[in-house]
Amino acid sequence: MEKMIIEVVGLVKHYGEVKAVDDVSFTVQEGEIFGLLGPNGAGKTTLMEILCCLRRFDRGRVMIHSFDPNKNSLQVRASIGFCPQETLLYDLLNVRENLAFSASLYSLSSKKCKERVEFASKVLGVEEFLNRRVEQLSGGMKRRANLAASIIHDPSIVILDEPTVGFDPNIKREFWELIRNLKNYGKTVLLSTHDMYEADEICDRVAIMDKGKIVALDKPHILKKTIGGEPLIHVRVKNSQAKKALSILKEYKTSVRDNEIHISAENPWETMTEVSNKLASQEVLIEKIEIGEPTLEDVFVKLTGRKLTEEVA
Amino acid sequence: MNSIIGIAKKDIKTFFRERGTVFWTIAFPVMILLLFTAIFGREIPFNANIGIVDEDGQPITQSVISGLNATGFLTLKIFTERTEAFKELNATNVRAVLILPQNFSQNLYLGHANVSLIVDGSNPDTARLISDGVKTFFTNYYKEIFNPNYTEPINVKEEKVFGQEIGYKENIVPGMLTYPLLFSSMVVSTGAIVYEREKGTLKKIRVAPIRPINMLFGKTLAALFQTTISIIVMSVLAAVLLGPKLNWNVPLLIPIFFLGSMNGIALGLIISCIGRAPQEASNAATTIAVVLQFFTGMYFPIEYLPIYMQQFGRIIPMTYAAQALRDIMIRNATFTDLLIPMATLVLSAVILYGIGVLLYKRWVEK
Repeated sequence: MEKMIIEVVGLVKHYGEVKAVDDVSFTVQEGEIFGLLGPNGAGKTTLMEILCCLRRFDRGRVMIHSFDPNKNSLQVRASIGFCPQETLLYDLLNVRENLAFSASLYSLSSKKCKERVEFASKVLGVEEFLNRRVEQLSGGMKRRANLAASIIHDPSIVILDEPTVGFDPNIKREFWELIRNLKNYGKTVLLSTHDMYEADEICDRVAIMDKGKIVALDKPHILKKTIGGEPLIHVRVKNSQAKKALSILKEYKTSVRDNEIHISAENPWETMTEVSNKLASQEVLIEKIEIGEPTLEDVFVKLTGRKLTEEVA
Repeated sequence: MNSIIGIAKKDIKTFFRERGTVFWTIAFPVMILLLFTAIFGREIPFNANIGIVDEDGQPITQSVISGLNATGFLTLKIFTERTEAFKELNATNVRAVLILPQNFSQNLYLGHANVSLIVDGSNPDTARLISDGVKTFFTNYYKEIFNPNYTEPINVKEEKVFGQEIGYKENIVPGMLTYPLLFSSMVVSTGAIVYEREKGTLKKIRVAPIRPINMLFGKTLAALFQTTISIIVMSVLAAVLLGPKLNWNVPLLIPIFFLGSMNGIALGLIISCIGRAPQEASNAATTIAVVLQFFTGMYFPIEYLPIYMQQFGRIIPMTYAAQALRDIMIRNATFTDLLIPMATLVLSAVILYGIGVLLYKRWVEK
């Protein structure tokens, strides 16, 4: 039976007149990777900071391991490893010293600290630069060391705020692997992101946030299927033949976006062959034709009418 | 050229947007000027407590006491017994004791009277000012009241207690050693929290299951370490370079250095909890430390201050640390003599840490 680790019910947080978190409810099960997906300003960071006892909330209920952060903040904080967007390491200390400092904050014995430094550095691949000062590390190394510092006390819950923002695709993939590793070691991971691929790739469940509210919550493939709509066939033809192509394809559900004709199709592979044959028979030169499965971006657009990259006003 | 102006413009704009920094930048010269005006802009730039033992008890001695009172530079405490007066002198509550002996009035009429002035010599500046002031008073007093042509009918027999051989070096070194207690400790600890906040690393500490008091004590230990370095370096250099003839009673100096530093550090941590930007906190700490040094008697006697400022000085913990250092090094004070200053420093440190914890918690819970 799945065990509930985090329970949030009717959570509300204001900053003055602005409602940063608006009646948010969700649960996170033990051992899952739970994603908060939304644009900048959607309330993800505030929500995470509340869970980490960094902020108080105005209304609602939060339980972490059955502890109320307002009443048992020490127990809650001991069970959480928080890794924010920014690197919280001391530049003039080396990585080992930074990890030892983090361990001291959780009162780990020196023996335990040594074990945990070894473990965290192995799992997150920081062994080769353990003795280098943080100021000498690359951005990717710093992030890995930062993540290692946040799990040094062996927390059951790891909260990651935009863990891969600003990374190039290779390092991003490497980081996703590290996060999956955490799950393999039995950690429950709550991460925020505005990267739909990231959420899709590594999260077991995703809560889509917009303007402080959760607008949808489920497994990524279910969200895409139920909200994202049918797959689309993307067709690009020469500009001069676009009108002709549209008239040939008038029996399909079409739309034009970014100089491409998008055709909704229940059976995309069959429809793609049909479309391609029809256009070819009418001598319309196809520059590109491909099937696009609905993404979490499509889900977000359908739910909010905006793109994920647009900031909340 | 454009780049130079661009950099300057950006810095000036940033400065004006950090309101706390602007405040302290203006507050610093204003406070210094007001202090100098209040201290040195007076007609009588000095006020010391002295004890008077009136053993004669005649109208003429009453008139002497009224006359001394009217000088404006002395605050008198009247005693009937010498022992009581000397106790106060020992406790530095009075800086000198003037004894008007039996038969003073009678001898004065006969043209030759003696008075005894026992001065606390541990602060040569104060001692000199009191001595000169009392002697001048008696010369003028006799001229005005009795005989303008008769000079020096009243002989002031002066005796110095504590630090009879105090020179300028001996006078300045205890004050110098108060410097790290006030400046180093405050400046170091002011940076402690505000730096973590600016860098973002405070978040890491706040997420961990540690209590605010642990955080403040951790910061205190580090600041104490740095302050100790300043104290040791300054003590060694002062001893080697100046060679003052002082009582370096280390077992007694250590608790005073420790308690004084704790007070300075606690004050710095409070500023650190209030300041939003490092620049603001640094300006605040510098201004407060510079202003406080006037009240503590570190560099010049507290008697130079107007009475209301002296009273303010007596509620500043560092005044007790400065006085205790002087007492140990010049007056050869014993542990018992230091009980009151030590208790005061402990109490003030507890209060300041209490305030620090409240401010830190309030900030954390925002």
